Amino acid sequence: MLKYSLKRLASSLITLLIIITVVFVLLRQMPIEGYFDNFEKADAATIQAKLNQLGLNDPIPVQLWNFLKNLFHGDLGTSARYSVGAPITDLIAKKAPVSIKLGVMSMALSLMMGIPLGTAMARSKGKFWDKFGTVYIVFINAVPAAVYYIFIQMYGTSALNISMLFDEAKPVTWILPVFSMSLGSTASYAMWLRRYMVDELNKDYVRLARAKGVSSKKIMMSHVFRNAFVPMIQYIPTSLLYTISGSIYIESLYSIPGMGGLLVDVIGRQDNPMVQAIVMIYSCIGIVGLLLGDLLMGMIDPRISFVKKEGAR
Amino acid sequence: MLSIKDTKSQKLEKALSEQLQKELDTAPVNEDELFVLADYDETAAEKTGYSNYSYWRSTLQVFFKNRVAVFLLIVLGALLLFTFLQPLLPGQYPANLINNHPQTGKQLSNIAPSFTTQLVTAPAGTQLNAEAVKGNDGWYTVDNVLKSLKARDKFTVIEYGEEWCKVEFKKVTGYVKNNFQTKLKLPDDPTAVPYESRSNFPLKLYMQPVDYTNDGTALYVEASHLELGEDGIAVTVDDAPLRILPSEHAFWFGTNNIGQDLWSRVWSGTRTSLLIGFIVAFVEAVVGILVGVLWGYVRKLDRLLTEVYNVIDNIPNTIILILISYILKPGFKTLVFAMCLTGWLGMARFIRNQIVIIRDRDYNLASRCLGTGTGRIILKNLLPYLVSVITLRMALSIPGAIGNEVFITYIGLGLPVDLPSLGNLINEGRKLITSAALRYQLIFPAIVLSIVTISFYIIGNAFADAADPKNHV
Repeated sequence: MLKYSLKRLASSLITLLIIITVVFVLLRQMPIEGYFDNFEKADAATIQAKLNQLGLNDPIPVQLWNFLKNLFHGDLGTSARYSVGAPITDLIAKKAPVSIKLGVMSMALSLMMGIPLGTAMARSKGKFWDKFGTVYIVFINAVPAAVYYIFIQMYGTSALNISMLFDEAKPVTWILPVFSMSLGSTASYAMWLRRYMVDELNKDYVRLARAKGVSSKKIMMSHVFRNAFVPMIQYIPTSLLYTISGSIYIESLYSIPGMGGLLVDVIGRQDNPMVQAIVMIYSCIGIVGLLLGDLLMGMIDPRISFVKKEGAR
Repeated sequence: MLSIKDTKSQKLEKALSEQLQKELDTAPVNEDELFVLADYDETAAEKTGYSNYSYWRSTLQVFFKNRVAVFLLIVLGALLLFTFLQPLLPGQYPANLINNHPQTGKQLSNIAPSFTTQLVTAPAGTQLNAEAVKGNDGWYTVDNVLKSLKARDKFTVIEYGEEWCKVEFKKVTGYVKNNFQTKLKLPDDPTAVPYESRSNFPLKLYMQPVDYTNDGTALYVEASHLELGEDGIAVTVDDAPLRILPSEHAFWFGTNNIGQDLWSRVWSGTRTSLLIGFIVAFVEAVVGILVGVLWGYVRKLDRLLTEVYNVIDNIPNTIILILISYILKPGFKTLVFAMCLTGWLGMARFIRNQIVIIRDRDYNLASRCLGTGTGRIILKNLLPYLVSVITLRMALSIPGAIGNEVFITYIGLGLPVDLPSLGNLINEGRKLITSAALRYQLIFPAIVLSIVTISFYIIGNAFADAADPKNHV
């Protein structure tokens, strides 16, 4: 188990390094306007001086090495257009807490909604809850998130009689963003839980328990649900990914001062260092999410080993 | 293997000839009957070891049992056909044409959706100012404005009403509107006529207590509804439809804020989005199958490709999309490229896992021992197993690509507005949701998009179920 965890950790670190390199190199191909707040007015000498000062005239490997060195000290560079000259770490530190709060709340909500829904679907196979859940899952998976997010904002705010924008001080304005963000993960929890529970229900030990006369409620809760929930655990960290892409929409829709909204903002302003930093942070979160999922699965199911992953024979 | 087959065929042959012999022995032989063609008999055919099971026929049979999927297939087919026929239909406005008012030259912006260009109906016998439209024979511009009053012009109210007041202004009698926009200065008891009054806003003096104008500009009517008098005054001969345009072709879905026809923009956008979806699905299939087959079948590549996959799969898809569209110049090609870059991953992994499972089955081993080439094994032995997986992935990647297009457009890296797509129509509509009257600009593209994506999703799933031999009878 320890060996597996260490190997998995090492491969994640390598992946992270590769991603940082690729993002860094790709962003160096951008036009240099993204480093200036007044590119149109500056003359050639000023531009060259600024480029030298930022170290952008060095060869790319040198730039990358410097960047990694700074990164190790927790320095992501300075913003070029969004808030000229401000350290990016400070800007993000201000925005991140709101995003984290929203993300954690929506993940908790999706567990609270997805697990009962999945259980209800498995219990009432072919009846109302199953049909309702299927329609819901198909809808969420097929229709782009942007569309139903906008409709929830449009009709939700008028139904609750609140303003369309987010206000951190008013708890009632948290409801719709958290709810919208949780919908995607809810659908995936419900879908997988139903599938695992139905698989479990068809097994012999359940038939035996039924023959013994164990009540169906007890079978559901203490046999089927417990066994079906184990493989579910791997989806909890993966839902971080849903939450990330959800937050990009939601935060800019409701003007929430968080990282997702910040990304849309800096893309609009073509602030290269900021885009680079946020993209790297998001990839980092993705990697950590998948790593956690794998480690959790390894802990629960000792049969998993690093070599035999991916269904190799 | 071969010997077993031989003995079996020998057995079958023997049984057949025995049966024939029996029939010959029992029945009286009639030479003519023996040479008549026999009818097809399923049970008799199965006796010879033949089965009429056909994979594709069974697949289609199972698929057509799913009523919802068949219904959506018809809807989707009709929709697809319509998007391509729509520009060829008569009376369609081009998607990028900015429609201007023929008289004032102003953009016809934010016209509410309607099946007709008719704004109001003037009953028979209504007097109207009429003037022939230049260059558009058979149409007249009409209105019922007698005079335009400047702000603070004084007039005499001679009859008071809640909505319309009959007034006299410079010896002309007509009607003015009495509402919150005109804010007439009225005495405490407004019914005690006559009295002097004025408004702080410019007013229009109408011939009748009805407004036969389009917010101040003239309306249009066909000549056949009018009987022309002198001084440009005409009288309607029947219930005349007064239209906002000298045309009967309406803006079915309304217009957007610069006066483009939303109906043709929605269909043109559907075309663009579907085109993106199909291209991405096609590239995904080709690259995914190629990589997946190499990854699964060539053992030396397995380690390398697995590592590459793990790296790419660790980055959230949306981040790759954002990054690529940010670096390259926004446009159709960039968007398609960015989506193709990530889309093939899932397909490749599916194919690889399937191939790893079936590549060492006995029939493939036998094939290899007999000296069949690798290419032939892949094409004839492996890929037919994967048909259902491939079609499913392709069917699902179309709604996925449409959704990604919406996402990329939403964060401002998508297609330019002069190339309408469902993504940028929804994005344009999103900016107007604060005004309830303009929400149709979001709702129409959203409905079409939902129909398309849900249909593809359900049809894809139904087809994958049908293509699974476990579900065949």
